[in-house]
Amino acid sequence: MKTESTVKYVLRLTVTLLLITAVVAVILAGVNSVTAPRIADLNARKTQEAVEAVLPGGGVEVAFTDSTGLVATVYQGEAGYAVKVNPSGFNGTVSMMVGVDNNGSVLGISIISQTETAGLGAVSAADTSAGEAFRGQFAGMSGSVSVSKDGGQVDAITGATITSRAVCTGVNAALACVANMG
Amino acid sequence: MNFKKQFKEGLLTKNPVTVQLLGMCSTLAITTSLFNGIGMGLAVTIILICSNVLISALRKVIPSQIRIAAYITIIAGFVTVVDLALQAFIPALSESLGVFIPLIVVNCIVLGRAEAFASKNGVLASAVDGLTQGIGYTVALVITCVIRELLGSGTFGGGLLNGGEGIRIIPSPFPAMQMVMPVGGFLILGFVIAGSQWLMKHLEMKSKKKEAAK
Repeated sequence: MKTESTVKYVLRLTVTLLLITAVVAVILAGVNSVTAPRIADLNARKTQEAVEAVLPGGGVEVAFTDSTGLVATVYQGEAGYAVKVNPSGFNGTVSMMVGVDNNGSVLGISIISQTETAGLGAVSAADTSAGEAFRGQFAGMSGSVSVSKDGGQVDAITGATITSRAVCTGVNAALACVANMG
Repeated sequence: MNFKKQFKEGLLTKNPVTVQLLGMCSTLAITTSLFNGIGMGLAVTIILICSNVLISALRKVIPSQIRIAAYITIIAGFVTVVDLALQAFIPALSESLGVFIPLIVVNCIVLGRAEAFASKNGVLASAVDGLTQGIGYTVALVITCVIRELLGSGTFGGGLLNGGEGIRIIPSPFPAMQMVMPVGGFLILGFVIAGSQWLMKHLEMKSKKKEAAK
C-alpha cells in the first residue's frame, strides 16, 4: 500500500466519520419531523385524559405556589383542582395527577408515567384490579397521607413500599399546594 | 454462505444470550412479561438486520481505525429511529420497555455482530446473520420471560392476552415475587443457559450415534 501523508491520513478519517454522522443526523431529523407532532399529541392527550380522570369536567391551567418543588402544573375546574406532581419513586420519577375537591380532599389519582419495577412498583399504574384498588383508596383522604407501615392509612403495594411512599408524597404535595390556593 | 448453518448457530450453538452471553443487561431487566420479551426481541432484531446490512455495505469505505466510532454512530441512528417510531406509534410498548430501547445502542449483540460478522462478510450473509442472531435473542428472551412470569406473577402472556393481565395459571397468593425481581432474573437465566447446553450436548450425542451406526 502506498503511504499517505499524515495530513491526508487524518483528513481521510475525519471526513469519513463526519460524512457518516452528517447522513445519520439528516435521517434522524427527517424521522423526528414525522414523529415529533404525534408524540406531542399523544402526551397532550394523555395529560388531558389524566386531568379528566381525576377531575370530572376537566379544568384549565392556573398559576400556583408550591413549597415542595414536586408540583408541575395545576388545573382548576368547577369540581376542584387537578395537580400534576412528580415525586421520586424507586427507579425514577413517578409522574401523576391528583384530583382535589374544593374542600381539600382527594377525588382520585391517576399515574401518567413511571419507570418502577415491572410486577411490583409498576402495579401502581397498571389497569389491573390490584392497581385500581391501590389508587382507589386515596379517594376521600385529606390532610396528610402515608402508608400503613409509617402509621398512615394507605395499604402499600406488596413489595413496593418505596413506590407507595412516593405516591403518598405526591398526594401530600398536591394537597398542600391546593391548601395554599385557598 | 450456509444459511441453514447460520440459523442453527443463531438459535443454539452461537446463541447471543445463552452462548455468547451478550446483551445480559436487557435480558435480565425486561424479561418479566411475554409482551416485553417479544417487543424487545423484535426491536433488537430489526436494528440488528439494518445495522448489519449497512455496516456490511460500508465495510470497505470505513477505515479500520475509526470503525467502532462509525459502527456506534450507525447503530445509534437506527436505535433512535426505532425509539421515536415506537413512541409515536406503539406508546404502550415504548412505556413498558422504557429506557431499555435507547440502551440497545450499547447492547453488545449489535456491536458484536457488526465487528465479528458484518465487517467481514457480504450484505446478504450479514442480513441473514442479523435475522438469525435476532431470532436467537428473541427466543432466549421469550423462554426466560415465560418461566419468570409464570413463577413470579403466576400468569402467561402478560401485557398481551386477557386484556393485558395475562392468563392466570397460579392463583394470586402463591407466585414467588422474587422471580420478577433481579434475583429471579439471574436464577432463571442460569437455568435457561444450562438447558441450552444440555440440548446442544444431547443433539451432538445423537448425531454421533447416527454416524457410528452408519
